[in-house]
Amino acid sequence: MSQEMIAIFMFSSMMLMLFTGQRVFGAIGAIGAIAAIALWGVGGSDIPFSSAMKVMKWYPLLTLPMFIFMGYVLSESKIADDLYKMFHVWMGPVRGGLAIGTIGLMVLISAMNGLSVAGMAIGATVALPELIKRGYDKRMVTGVIQAGSSLGILVPPSVVLVLYAMIARQPVGQLWLAGILPGLMMAAMFMIYIYIRCRIQPELGPALPEADRDISRSEKFKLLRAGLLPLFIFAAMMVPFVNGWTSLVESSAVGAATAFLAAVVKKRMTRAVFEVSVRQTLAISCMFMWIILAALGFGAVFDGLGAVNAIDGLFTEQLELNPWMILILMQLSFLIMGTFLDDTAMLVIVAPLYVPLVDALGFDLIWYGVLYTITTQIAYMTPPFGYNLFLMRAMAPPDITLKDIYASITPFVLVMLFALILVMLFPQIAMWLPNYVYGK
Amino acid sequence: QSKIKWRMQTYAGSALGEHVIKPAIDTFNKIAGDQMEIELFYADQLVPTGELFQALQRGTIDAVQSDDDSMASPTEVTVFGGYFPFGSRYSLDVPVLFNQYGLKEIWDEEYAAVGVKHISAGAWDPCHFATKDPINSLADLKGKRIFTFPTAGRFLSQFGVVPVTLPWEDIETAVQTGELDGIAWSGITEDYTVGWADVTNYFLTNNISGAWIGHFFANMDRWNELPDNLKELLTVCMEQSHYYRQWWYWGGESDLRVNGDKLKLTTIPDEEWATVEDAAVKFWDEIAAESPTKAKVVEIFRKYNDDMKKAGRPYRYS
Amino acid sequence: MSFARTYIRSVDAMNYRIGRVMMYGIFVMGGILLWSSISKTFFNPSLWTLEMAQFAMVTYYILGGPYSIQIGANVRMDLFYGEWSDHRKAQIDAITVLMLIFYLGVLLYGALGSMAYSLGHYKNVPFQFYWGLLTGAEEIGRLEHSATAWRPVIWPIKLIMCFGFFLMLLQAISELLKDLIRIKGGTV
Ligand code: NA
Ligand code: NA
Repeated sequence: MSQEMIAIFMFSSMMLMLFTGQRVFGAIGAIGAIAAIALWGVGGSDIPFSSAMKVMKWYPLLTLPMFIFMGYVLSESKIADDLYKMFHVWMGPVRGGLAIGTIGLMVLISAMNGLSVAGMAIGATVALPELIKRGYDKRMVTGVIQAGSSLGILVPPSVVLVLYAMIARQPVGQLWLAGILPGLMMAAMFMIYIYIRCRIQPELGPALPEADRDISRSEKFKLLRAGLLPLFIFAAMMVPFVNGWTSLVESSAVGAATAFLAAVVKKRMTRAVFEVSVRQTLAISCMFMWIILAALGFGAVFDGLGAVNAIDGLFTEQLELNPWMILILMQLSFLIMGTFLDDTAMLVIVAPLYVPLVDALGFDLIWYGVLYTITTQIAYMTPPFGYNLFLMRAMAPPDITLKDIYASITPFVLVMLFALILVMLFPQIAMWLPNYVYGK
Repeated sequence: QSKIKWRMQTYAGSALGEHVIKPAIDTFNKIAGDQMEIELFYADQLVPTGELFQALQRGTIDAVQSDDDSMASPTEVTVFGGYFPFGSRYSLDVPVLFNQYGLKEIWDEEYAAVGVKHISAGAWDPCHFATKDPINSLADLKGKRIFTFPTAGRFLSQFGVVPVTLPWEDIETAVQTGELDGIAWSGITEDYTVGWADVTNYFLTNNISGAWIGHFFANMDRWNELPDNLKELLTVCMEQSHYYRQWWYWGGESDLRVNGDKLKLTTIPDEEWATVEDAAVKFWDEIAAESPTKAKVVEIFRKYNDDMKKAGRPYRYS
Repeated sequence: MSFARTYIRSVDAMNYRIGRVMMYGIFVMGGILLWSSISKTFFNPSLWTLEMAQFAMVTYYILGGPYSIQIGANVRMDLFYGEWSDHRKAQIDAITVLMLIFYLGVLLYGALGSMAYSLGHYKNVPFQFYWGLLTGAEEIGRLEHSATAWRPVIWPIKLIMCFGFFLMLLQAISELLKDLIRIKGGTV
């Protein structure tokens, strides 16, 4: 079979298996295993297992369970409630202010965890009912929460950037720093959008009525202290890391321990919270790790059979495109694949095909990591397949329909695309901070 | 007759592989034409380096470029692969040891016993420290987390070095994320070539070995299936790659020490460094005591180094 | 069907218990990593921490895998799947889960070969080797050590992986039986 045929065969049978709804890791792993046995020759059947050894040696993967645990502790123990109150009181008087405050809340949450799950859970359980009660438009609200929580993977710590770092062999520290400014910029763009939209259509996000605002000045300043907790957790993890006192994986453990202690000190670590955090950490970690295991096996077989050459050949030789065209095509293909492919699988299968090509085209891999992450964020929330959509569906009250959820993301996706284009045109948005900190 | 296709995986990442292996494979493919093609894969690309030997033996991979130590070969000669502390001073020592002092026969035998064809051994660069903080005395080594070879690590740990082994491609990142304080894995040419010079600041001119020993291996069945002309061609191309590395490293080491601007040189005074050399003598005895084969190899190393000393300049200056 | 139900009950119960224990592995990993940062700051860094944490991680996700299937943590692409009736889901699943079983079988086969290697078997006939170990015809050869300065023997973690893949296989078969029962109109 030619390399092109192998590439087509492996990809299309994987897609077909995914469409049957079998567990993603099983679908990907099985196709990898079949190709290994049928096409590799002697010893091909060992490849799926040797990926398990690869997973073991990929030490940054240790951060995954740590950040997942951290996220669950934060969302389950509700230590973010005070944070919400802070934004509620300070931002309430403005039209759309509660929604703008929710974005602010999401920025702080994302500085304390590595996935978008925690932000989503906190947003859906704390902010969403409040906003609906205050007469906010439900589509506005679900959109805000989905878009805001996606910041979790762009603002450090970020699991997606850790996985990307492993694939692209780039320093995680620089990638994390590169994510900060684009993350904040995107948050600001969300806020501006909400502000303008609610100026034009006040019924989408009414200002808090006078009665609700009757809070003394001193009370208001007291609430600001809630903002100290995320700063503290963020600092406890990032300061030793950036200074090189603790390594990446150690820092993730420090972060998880700090969040856990904070919950204990605030007397929020009940039996039930403990149970859910620990169990869900296992569940989500297993989901990630088994997909990574299967996808690495698939990837090694794909590579060893020469199918990677076929993809490279297609982009560079057959289509004869210039580097920017190839880059844009890649981002587009991520967006398209993201509408039906699982995000982790996309990262572990597709990114390894593209990253060497991006490098060969002369683009900076740190900068591309940020582009990649923003694209992933968009993929997380574009129908029909996306974690954020699933989570929103699971967490939202029944009167918010799937149609509402799908409709709600449109303006935010446009804002994110705009942000993506800005970072593409002005790489300094991403690169300034890491260059400043690590500039030797 | 259809084209023979082999998969070869090297211990090296692509930046280094560009020099230590790719030219030889390209040459081979060009000459072999329609008869045979070797496809080259880099560090951990198909299987993780720790599984490389088993993959070679089982035929998952047809050929491998590595030292014995990093791929943890299940043979008696594994400790001598990579950097055997103070086993050699110059890169020319390696081919002499193998071709004139009898190491080649021992290696062939050891590998044949576990179903692997040892094609040939070659010399690489000397083993130096590249670190974030300067090393001016042995005390500076204490507590440093250093990426190095298992055997070198075992030897260096008596000086307080904490040896760390990670996937090769992750080293640069690991220095930046703080998993490592430095690297004792190569000479200065590789430090510059693979990007380690960008993440470390200092280079220690003392070395614990003058040349790395690396090999080409093949799966025994695949090797036996080759027609004679291809066996010969493969051997010649591997020899050619040994030659390329001889001058590439030798010239690179001196050039970058003198003209490189990324690493500052430091030196531990000879009197102090003698402690390390003395420790190596004891280390050799320890290794020799482990098995008759190891004793035989250590004896050869000893004899060779004695002869070189007696021969005087330019073979040895002290 | 009573055999199927007994199988499902016992396999699920066993994997549930193992998973409930593995769950706390997060604290083992966290503990090792915290010790690593403490030992590095106050004493000499420990040799074994990173590798030990990696072993713990592998144990955590492989032995915890069957329990994660039980609680439905493994995502599916539910573009179509989500719209189907439970009966239709069971029908399709009963076929596609065979692919999962196949994959797990390949993983287990590779793991057994690799474990035999780690026990010093170099002849590529792992099953004969294991049988020989039982009958005394074979003996354990050179043990594989990790190529690190700590040099732990590698077979224990490979044994854990073999065991974990086996448990996953049992769980996948249990899922298959559940689908078959559902197809016949039963409830599980
Ligand atoms: Na984050
Ligand atoms: Na999507």
